[in-house]
Amino acid sequence: MRSVHPAQPSADPMLLARRSPLRTFEESRFFSLTLLLPILIFFVALNVIPTLWMIGMSFYNYSLMSAAPPTFLGADNFVKIYNDSDLWSAFGRTFVFVVLAVGLETTLGVLLGFLFWGSSNMPGRRLALTLLFVPMVVTPVASGLFWRLIYEPTFGVANYLLQQISGQKIDFLTNIDWAFGAVLFVDIWMWTPFMILMTLAALGSVPKAELEAAEVDRLTAWQRLWHVIWPHGKFILMLGILLRTIDAYKTTDLVFLMTNGGPGNITELIALKLYRYAFASLNIGFSSALAVILLLIAIAFTSIYLWVLHLRRYREGV
Amino acid sequence: MLDIRVENLRKQFGSVVAVDDLTLTFPAGTTTCLLGPSGCGKTTLMRMIAGLELPTQGEIFFGTQRVTHLSTYARKIGMVFQYPVVYRGSNVRANIELPLRAEKLSPAERTRRTEEVLDLLEMRHAADADIEDLDNGTRQKVAVARAVARQPQIILFDEPITNVDISAKLQLKRALKELVTRLNQTILYVTHDQTEAMTLADQIALMKEGRIVQYAAPRELYDRPNDVFGGWFLGNPGMNFIEGFAQANLTEIIRSPLFAQPVCLSTPSSSPLTLGIRPEHVRIFPTAQPDTVPARIASRAIVVGGQYLVTLRVGPFSLKAKVAPEIGHTLAEEVWAQLPLDRITLFGTDGHKPNIALQTTC
Repeated sequence: MRSVHPAQPSADPMLLARRSPLRTFEESRFFSLTLLLPILIFFVALNVIPTLWMIGMSFYNYSLMSAAPPTFLGADNFVKIYNDSDLWSAFGRTFVFVVLAVGLETTLGVLLGFLFWGSSNMPGRRLALTLLFVPMVVTPVASGLFWRLIYEPTFGVANYLLQQISGQKIDFLTNIDWAFGAVLFVDIWMWTPFMILMTLAALGSVPKAELEAAEVDRLTAWQRLWHVIWPHGKFILMLGILLRTIDAYKTTDLVFLMTNGGPGNITELIALKLYRYAFASLNIGFSSALAVILLLIAIAFTSIYLWVLHLRRYREGV
Repeated sequence: MLDIRVENLRKQFGSVVAVDDLTLTFPAGTTTCLLGPSGCGKTTLMRMIAGLELPTQGEIFFGTQRVTHLSTYARKIGMVFQYPVVYRGSNVRANIELPLRAEKLSPAERTRRTEEVLDLLEMRHAADADIEDLDNGTRQKVAVARAVARQPQIILFDEPITNVDISAKLQLKRALKELVTRLNQTILYVTHDQTEAMTLADQIALMKEGRIVQYAAPRELYDRPNDVFGGWFLGNPGMNFIEGFAQANLTEIIRSPLFAQPVCLSTPSSSPLTLGIRPEHVRIFPTAQPDTVPARIASRAIVVGGQYLVTLRVGPFSLKAKVAPEIGHTLAEEVWAQLPLDRITLFGTDGHKPNIALQTTC
């Protein structure tokens, strides 16, 4: 026999009125600040202060080569950068490198991502994914050395294969026609897995019901891509592109190890240039000014992304 | 028109049996509701019919065609999901037309069908609204319109009202009722809401733990449940049950405080019997009438629908009863109750209804 029970009052109002001091502290804003404090200290000490110091230094003439104290120059460092054609060409090379690297990594990553997504029942899929992510996990220093050995003209695997096929050898890293492409290839090899990962995450963010509805509604592949997958996946995919763009634009270690900017200055990217000014010439003032410009460019990329994202969020009422 | 037939259909997820050896035909051109509590396998059954889930065993037929291993795409069905699915970046009209474009229909035919469903669902005013600006209720209507415009022979609804705000629920329910009475398609509708099932269905398949408990027209299911579960699950609240009302192999007359006269069983039962009666069938009178027994009101509560729910004590038994509010208000604590014999259902210990009735002519 089931019977109806009237609802019981769930809590004594007097109990609710008596609050422990600990509870009051938990609810105060000091509590959240206390929890944030350790990371705030790190952030200020390792990010904010060095950045402000760098911005300040960019207005000074300060070289570690001489014992002279820093002298204030105003905007002279920036004017010097503006008039330096060598720097302009480094910026141009970096731009080409970023566009090609990110463009090809995204294209390959998206294609392979779709391939893995569509093969969820394929045997060996997990193993293939794990192997594919190896380049991303290896540090760029190791990858650079590893590829230098592969490209090596006398005993490298690449040249061995090339000789078997064409009968001649190419010293990829010192050849003017090949060096840039050889470095670009390694960057693509290293970072395509990251774009596969982002594509898989983006595809994972599409609600299952929408994909099923598209199947029930017999939509074409193009309709599914444009009306179902893209509206949900675009945020994660674009975040991936942004992260890759900023990262490719900072590429130093790879070119430093593989070609050291050569032959000539074919592979001398802007970040490598900055490294040379700061740590080879020890020209702190000038390199700070260059770093400020690089920082502004990175902020510009991020702002464009955030602006687009915000605009869309706004439209979707989030 | 196509009927849907499932034969020995079974679905197992690991060790959990979601659908257990079902054989059933959903008649062509009618609306069938799959009704049952959460986890009873109704959605799994529907997803197998849609091809979104592969059966562990058994066959599915649309008319004479075996579709068990066909893809969802090839089954050419319409389906409305619990989560209102709309295609982004377009307006209502474009959403409805999207699958029609995929089918490569002529622009004139696309417009004709779109206008038709817009009228059918009374959505003409929202036809050019951006999908992003719509609430869940209207989005679900768009999903319904999209399925209907494709004119599939079979349309499946998977709890389409569940994720809609309360305010839009009633409106959507009314639109669906209007729709299912006008469509000639074979419609399968999953719900856990009995009033929804009662309103929309030509027949209801009541499910419990992966099996169909009873498959009957709504009224039949409500009035003559053939299982304790049907009596308990349907109604608000469900049936009153009095366990052990009659012992096994009883041939003598029964003298019970529930009845003014002695009663007996039409045939003896091999197992003890449980008596079941719906709260609205228990009659209450302020004064003694023929065939009534004394009772006492233990508590009163108002239930939705304007009816008064009271708990009665009749001898050692406790019974829920529904009465009109004007009577409910004025009743004193001491009342007289009557349990009409033709409203009583007897159940065996296995929960099933044996072919045994209560009678006064012994």
